[in-house]
Amino acid sequence: MIKLHKVSKSYSRFQAIKSISITVNAGEIHGIIGASGAGKSTVLRLMNLLEIPEEGEVEVNGQTLTNLHSKELRQARKSIGMIFQQYNLVANKTVYENVAVSLELANFPREERKSRVGECLQFVGLESLKDKYPAQLSGGQKQRVAIARALANNPRVLLCDEPTSSLDPNTTAEILSVLENINKSFGVTIVIVSHEMEVIKSICNRVTVMADGEVYDTVTIKPKRILNTDNSPKYFVEQLTKVGEMDHA
Amino acid sequence: MPDILVQYEAEIWSSIGETFVMVGVSVLAAILVGLPVGTLLFLCRKDQILENQFVFSSLNLLVNIVRSFPFLLLVVFLIPFTRLIMGTAIGTAAATIPLSIIAIAHYSRLVEQSLLDVPKGVIEAAVSMGASVKEVVFKFLYVEARSGLVLGLTTSIISFISYSTIMGVVGGGGIGDFAIRYGYQQFKTDLMIYVIIIMVILVQLLQFVGTTISRLIDKR
Ligand SMILES: Nc1ncnc2c1ncn2[C@@H]1O[C@H](COP(=O)(O)OP(=O)(O)OP(=O)(O)O)[C@@H](O)[C@H]1O
Ligand SMILES: [Mg+2]
Repeated sequence: MIKLHKVSKSYSRFQAIKSISITVNAGEIHGIIGASGAGKSTVLRLMNLLEIPEEGEVEVNGQTLTNLHSKELRQARKSIGMIFQQYNLVANKTVYENVAVSLELANFPREERKSRVGECLQFVGLESLKDKYPAQLSGGQKQRVAIARALANNPRVLLCDEPTSSLDPNTTAEILSVLENINKSFGVTIVIVSHEMEVIKSICNRVTVMADGEVYDTVTIKPKRILNTDNSPKYFVEQLTKVGEMDHA
Repeated sequence: MPDILVQYEAEIWSSIGETFVMVGVSVLAAILVGLPVGTLLFLCRKDQILENQFVFSSLNLLVNIVRSFPFLLLVVFLIPFTRLIMGTAIGTAAATIPLSIIAIAHYSRLVEQSLLDVPKGVIEAAVSMGASVKEVVFKFLYVEARSGLVLGLTTSIISFISYSTIMGVVGGGGIGDFAIRYGYQQFKTDLMIYVIIIMVILVQLLQFVGTTISRLIDKR
């Protein structure tokens, strides 16, 4: 579904990505993990050509993006959704408008936009908030809007850059199950970048481990269930005062 | 109403009319040309979607040059150009040429600054959704920067009013020129003070309207 073939990317004289080859199979949830600065975000951004590689080929959905003209590339990007750690919603648009804009860009038939936005918002559980502005939402809700926006055009691929890194464990679990659901229900191939091992372990089928701009290893794993951690105040107090884990230093 | 204002009522109204023409044309120039120029300045910067060192540097230099002229000198300097376009360099209509040029330079800089406040991630999200440059500008940048664009325009309009008071030197007229000719040169200090009060009220009103609109459309 996604193939990076000997792709390199430099920033001025610093080579951030060193001739990397990665294959993401159709229908899988592919994780990318590694230390800060390893090049995870850069690799993800190479997959929709937000970063243009100096060398190598990027193929998504059977199309070689690196050979496309700008107009064809824009067309191809409409079937590659992307979500970000900072959500990147338009603050002056309502939840509804934020989702609708991706349909406008894709020339989705005008009469069907409203119902399509409704469907997407329903899928992420935010239908009742459609007239709110992003500033009025929690982090988890904002990420759901971003997911609905990325989903609206029925993408074949969803690229996620640290989608849960600004969220608490419980909200993280919720967002991860939304992503898993998208993968299961619509067969969307998902690539998820994270530095959190728990996140990667809980939903990925295959994981690329990166170090210093190179692939260190690729491993196939069996995703363990997404744990919904308890976040009642009682649980917090229990955890904080557990005798066995007290610091005796 | 004070007698002196009644006595000069007709002249005051026609001066206000001239000011409106001069400022009105400047505002049009600011929106029709300054907004695109400011947008281009922003888009051509390093790491922006139309990155173009040559266009950016040229526009940047041009805007800086216009803005570094003392305005009175710019007016004089532009006389041949004004004459070329308008057929004359004298009068209210001719005065709109130098005013429009400073208006474009002034507002384009404020537009560029407002656009710089838009989070880079928003533009990135737009590009990742397959937006063209035009779509990025109209569906994302202007939406996100709209309150800054309105505040900037308010600031600009108030500057245009101030610039327009100088246009008496080329027969542009206007309320500022009226205050100087009658109030200052004919020692009618009370008349001058009344005109200043009118202008203060006008500016207060404009600022109030601009601030209110920009607050109402800001959902960030
Ligand atoms: N626009 C840029 N200009 C210069 N250097 C950059 C740029 N973007 C990334 N880099 C460099 O490229 C390397 C890889 O960056 P990248 O953002 O891909 O890392 P990452 O693995 O996502 O790290 P993190 O976990 O901190 O997000 C880093 O050393 C970074 O400093
Ligand atoms: Mg990163």
